[in-house]
Amino acid sequence: MPGFVDLYTEADTFLHRMDPRVKILAVILLSLLAFVLSGLYSLLVLLAFIFLLLFLARATLSRTLFALKFVLRFMVLIIILWPIFDPSGTPVLASFGPVKITEPAVWRGVTSAARVGCLATVWYILMFTTSQRDLVRALVKMGVRFDFGLALAISLRFLPTFGALIDSIKDAQRARGLELAKGGPLRRSRNYVAVLVPTIVSALRTADSLSLALQSRAYGARADRTYLRDLRMRSSDGLVLGILIAIFVLPILAKYMLNIDI
Amino acid sequence: MIPSASVSPKRQKAISVRGLRYTYEGGVEALRDINLDITNGEYVAIVGGNGSGKTTLAKNLLGLLRPTDGEVIIEDRPASGRAVAEIAKIVGYAFQNPDHQLFCATVEEEVRFGPLNLGFPETEIEKKVEHAIESMNLDRFRKTPPLSLRLGERRRVSIASVIAMDPRVFILDEPTTGLDAQEASELMGKLRVLNEEGKTIILITHDMKLVAEHAKRVVVMSQGRVLLDSDPRGAFSDPELLRQSNLEPPPVTLLAHRLSELGIPKDVISPEELVFQIMRVRGGP
Repeated sequence: MPGFVDLYTEADTFLHRMDPRVKILAVILLSLLAFVLSGLYSLLVLLAFIFLLLFLARATLSRTLFALKFVLRFMVLIIILWPIFDPSGTPVLASFGPVKITEPAVWRGVTSAARVGCLATVWYILMFTTSQRDLVRALVKMGVRFDFGLALAISLRFLPTFGALIDSIKDAQRARGLELAKGGPLRRSRNYVAVLVPTIVSALRTADSLSLALQSRAYGARADRTYLRDLRMRSSDGLVLGILIAIFVLPILAKYMLNIDI
Repeated sequence: MIPSASVSPKRQKAISVRGLRYTYEGGVEALRDINLDITNGEYVAIVGGNGSGKTTLAKNLLGLLRPTDGEVIIEDRPASGRAVAEIAKIVGYAFQNPDHQLFCATVEEEVRFGPLNLGFPETEIEKKVEHAIESMNLDRFRKTPPLSLRLGERRRVSIASVIAMDPRVFILDEPTTGLDAQEASELMGKLRVLNEEGKTIILITHDMKLVAEHAKRVVVMSQGRVLLDSDPRGAFSDPELLRQSNLEPPPVTLLAHRLSELGIPKDVISPEELVFQIMRVRGGP
């Protein structure tokens, strides 16, 4: 469960050491690129590039597939559903009554699935190589208000805690004979009230004591904040940034200036 | 132990644990080969330091966790394959934190929730709820929202909600945590009444004073194993063993150990006994 909430895995690779701001920018650029590219082959090349990065970040294939389990299911759904709802183009491969499966639609489905795969994997790299603290620090450096950054950091930090809390509450109610999965949808959602109310009450109590703890450590006493660890761009970060912009700009130039269809 | 000839021992058995192992998903071995028999009407304390496996064991007894290996037998029938809601008719479990189960608008509704889930007939539910509210002295809080009560009172509500389910076995996980001395001793008195009514009490705790005063049998756990299973006197006479489980005998026993050179026996477990022994050593009152 914790592995699912926080994908970050500690390691010492150049991707882990990179300035988180550069990583956020990189991920945004690569995501945009996934939308710019329309050919299946160029998307597959992009996907291969992203997997190369993952490999360099020492992510194992099994962990990656596990983390992206839901995305994989979603991709399969796209590949199945796209041809069913998109009857345009020829040749028609098969038809069942009003449903027509055409060859271009099948390719469009696969292409869209590849695009979703690119997007998911590239964001996974960011989460895999960047600790939540660094992410928040980067966001604050990029102009997000510190309070919001702190609130975000705290919520991320408490996700596993609340996961455990909900498990414990479920157990407590099951011990009282509650069967969560019993009954129709209405009954089932009513069953969950017995889990939801204690969860919310406990969450509010936690928030309350947390705010006291923050105050008792003089949170907000100074208007300007100082940092123990400051983010500083290094020359290697600049280099990566340059390479990235090239990777981003070249396909766009090729596509829109030279009219190469990629 | 005096073997009872009149009642067949098989009928008496409330809970039987055979070779129980439990490993959490992350690979933590919480229980390694637990064997335990608990007879109807017993008052057993399961003690052990944090992380010794007490709560994991309790959750296995109710089927909230299912054994990785070995089996749990509830009243002569294996627990495997039986739903938690079914086992809950026999084994009631009051969780450590009452706030993990309180959610109703009034104490009365809260207490009614369990028996309602178990599907007792209407009239029986009312009787059980009345009995539970009375036995936990909650009469004046009937219409009060449980979450507005003090911790000691909330704990009583959570125990009342188990009593109302009318189980034959009660598991109480650290029932006195966060209670003051007065509240704790009142609560323990009520548990004793339950036990005298014939209910089996399984008390999970690391408060050795409670154990010395109330339990008739102590199961000491350490690192997922049963280190010792005896009466409190036997359990406390070996402080070294208890220390292996991050525990310490109650203060009165420790004092008796210090005084052992004067001829005070080491197995004293109550202040009254210590006074008696001191008198004896001094030679008459």
